[in-house]
Amino acid sequence: MLSKKKLLGAIAVLMVLQGAFSNFVVMPRYIKDFLPKTSSSGGSALSSELMFLQLFGFREFLAGILWVRGDTYFESGDYDAILPIIRMVTWLDPHYVDVYATGMWHLGYNFTDEESRSDRRYIPYALALGKEGAENNSDTYEMFFETGWMWFNKVDDDYENAVKWFNEANKREDMLNARRNLQAVALQRAGDLKGAIDWYGDLLKKAETLWKETADYAARTNRDTIEGNLDNLLVRLSTRGTLAQERNDGSYDKFPYDTKPPFDVGFSVQAVVEESRVVRVSGTWNVLPVGTRIRFVLRDADFPRAKEAGMEWDYSKEVILDPPKGLTWMQDGLFVKHQQFNRKIDMSRDPTMYPCVSKEYYLEFYYNPRSAAAHIQDKFGWNGEGMTDKNFLREDIRPGTRVVFARLKLTKDQLLRQGEWLDKTPVVATANYIPIKTQNTSTGELIVVPGLRADKPGGVIPRPGPETGGAANKK
Amino acid sequence: MKPIVSIATTTLGEAIRRRVLLVILLAGLLLLSILPGMSVLSTRGQTSNLISTMFFVIQGTSVLISIVLTVYMIPNEIERRTIYTILCKPVSRWQFLLGKYFGAVLSVGLMMGLMTLVSLALFYIQLRPSPSALVELVQGPLMFFVQMCLLTAVTIFFSTFASPLVNFFLSTGIYLMGTTLSTLYDSFTKNPETHPVVKSAANVITMILPNFSLYNVSNPLVHSEVKVQNTLTYYVNAAGYGIIYVAALLIAGMLIFDKREV
Repeated sequence: MLSKKKLLGAIAVLMVLQGAFSNFVVMPRYIKDFLPKTSSSGGSALSSELMFLQLFGFREFLAGILWVRGDTYFESGDYDAILPIIRMVTWLDPHYVDVYATGMWHLGYNFTDEESRSDRRYIPYALALGKEGAENNSDTYEMFFETGWMWFNKVDDDYENAVKWFNEANKREDMLNARRNLQAVALQRAGDLKGAIDWYGDLLKKAETLWKETADYAARTNRDTIEGNLDNLLVRLSTRGTLAQERNDGSYDKFPYDTKPPFDVGFSVQAVVEESRVVRVSGTWNVLPVGTRIRFVLRDADFPRAKEAGMEWDYSKEVILDPPKGLTWMQDGLFVKHQQFNRKIDMSRDPTMYPCVSKEYYLEFYYNPRSAAAHIQDKFGWNGEGMTDKNFLREDIRPGTRVVFARLKLTKDQLLRQGEWLDKTPVVATANYIPIKTQNTSTGELIVVPGLRADKPGGVIPRPGPETGGAANKK
Repeated sequence: MKPIVSIATTTLGEAIRRRVLLVILLAGLLLLSILPGMSVLSTRGQTSNLISTMFFVIQGTSVLISIVLTVYMIPNEIERRTIYTILCKPVSRWQFLLGKYFGAVLSVGLMMGLMTLVSLALFYIQLRPSPSALVELVQGPLMFFVQMCLLTAVTIFFSTFASPLVNFFLSTGIYLMGTTLSTLYDSFTKNPETHPVVKSAANVITMILPNFSLYNVSNPLVHSEVKVQNTLTYYVNAAGYGIIYVAALLIAGMLIFDKREV
């Protein structure tokens, strides 16, 4: 046998060699190719307890068992208990797309207050989960589509992000044909009308080919739907004067396009704090056809990363299971009927969702024609060129779009009816607000019969009830 | 060389006759045989479930067999004084140790081979995959075998100076730490909030401890959508790393065993 010194030297050399080989050659490659990626924020993000669960590659099976357990929580309505399960499952098995998708939906939609308004403080985390899911499952369209859908449907603003994610989804071969059509709508909402035409054109070509190849009824229906959508879009581009504006040859000014003259929406609003955390908002919106929803946001004045009637929704780099405590963000849509809205927002039953610890609050009212229904867009145009407002029209807060935006302020004392506001009713309103002639019935619902003359408001008839001899409201 | 081969084959024969190892092996085989029926417990796809659980059983059983077989190997020889009958012949201590190591590796390899065969048979019966898919599947157990060679070397090294009970916990602890090394290292190095001192410590620890996680290559095998380029290069590198580490451990073991009173 060799001398002890030589053997010790050999051990030292071998240890240095293996250490360098491991850390600089083998392990980087292992981390890159073989280690399951479970976090977009870097690292595998496993807690020490969970780390041992991935011993022996038992992760997938355990993830499956856990998910079955999570399903029982859904059944029993124990929504809070589902989140840790979702997170554990995605850590254990980052390729479990269904769990990522369900987790996103759960975070984004299911945590609601007593009046079914979802807790939007979760949305950044839902988007972070979607991003992580997409990174870990880049071979399939699903998480790209789900994340895009969250932007499109839930955020319902910043549509360029929806377009970006749908684009990624459409690059994947397994993307469903029916879902591809949504990209055209997202492009319209993002203001890229030419892109929408091109997209429909491409889809139509593919649908035609598929129909000719298969002679399948579903393929025929899909082709007809795309053709109908494209026709509608072209007609709208024409009647709304969008093409004329693009031509920039003076024809838009010359001919009576639907978007001319711009219609004054006559927005005004008043907010009355009826009780602690109970706000009644009422106001005017001169649009007669039903279908307008004005976004109403009540938030901390110093809410981090907030912007007008929105926020930097995808700020979070990691998935957190609890919403930021101490922050208040209430968002709802004010439905307009008979050119007015009147809505009582009761936040008093959800103090954890609306902690109201800030000193000042913004009440923001926002209307973006990009999100409007087609029949309203026919007048307003995609970018609000057919819409105006003497007081609240803004072109600076959403570049490329004319939106209506108004902001009122409340103090904490006013919102919570404390201090000097204990016996006084706080009322904040826009300068142009004129009290609406309404008659509250026992249910608060109104039936307004518009007058034949535009300058005379219609009479107000109470809903049939006990006092009017109707059958409703029997006690 | 001849004494090493003789000791290795004798060790293999002994291992096959040991009831405790046979019980562990039987339990592993039983578990493997009921795996196809366990798919109903999970909402996952049957293939990924079956493969991941199969790997779990093969690896878990192999770890137990490796440690239980090796912790008693040298202490038993000393306790029963059978070591004298070997060392009085022209056999060096280092040859004895190497023979024991290779015997243990052969035994573990034999049992792992049996489990892999059973797994592949069950997998074929259950899912009727293509032959290429079956061949691909063997990559997992092959890398686990290299991992077991390293674990056996760790246990043999400790058995030169520690009692079986202490050795059992030491080896198990080292193994558990070693299987999470890559995950830990990845977390520490990628987390911007980690203090540089902690990062350096993590670097040093991963350099010293045997990295068992490098052999857990089941991720791309379980998830067909995970594509890895040039796996053979990686396997050769990982095996090379294992061989270097095993060599270092065996030399250290020889040095200690050479000085030990028996």
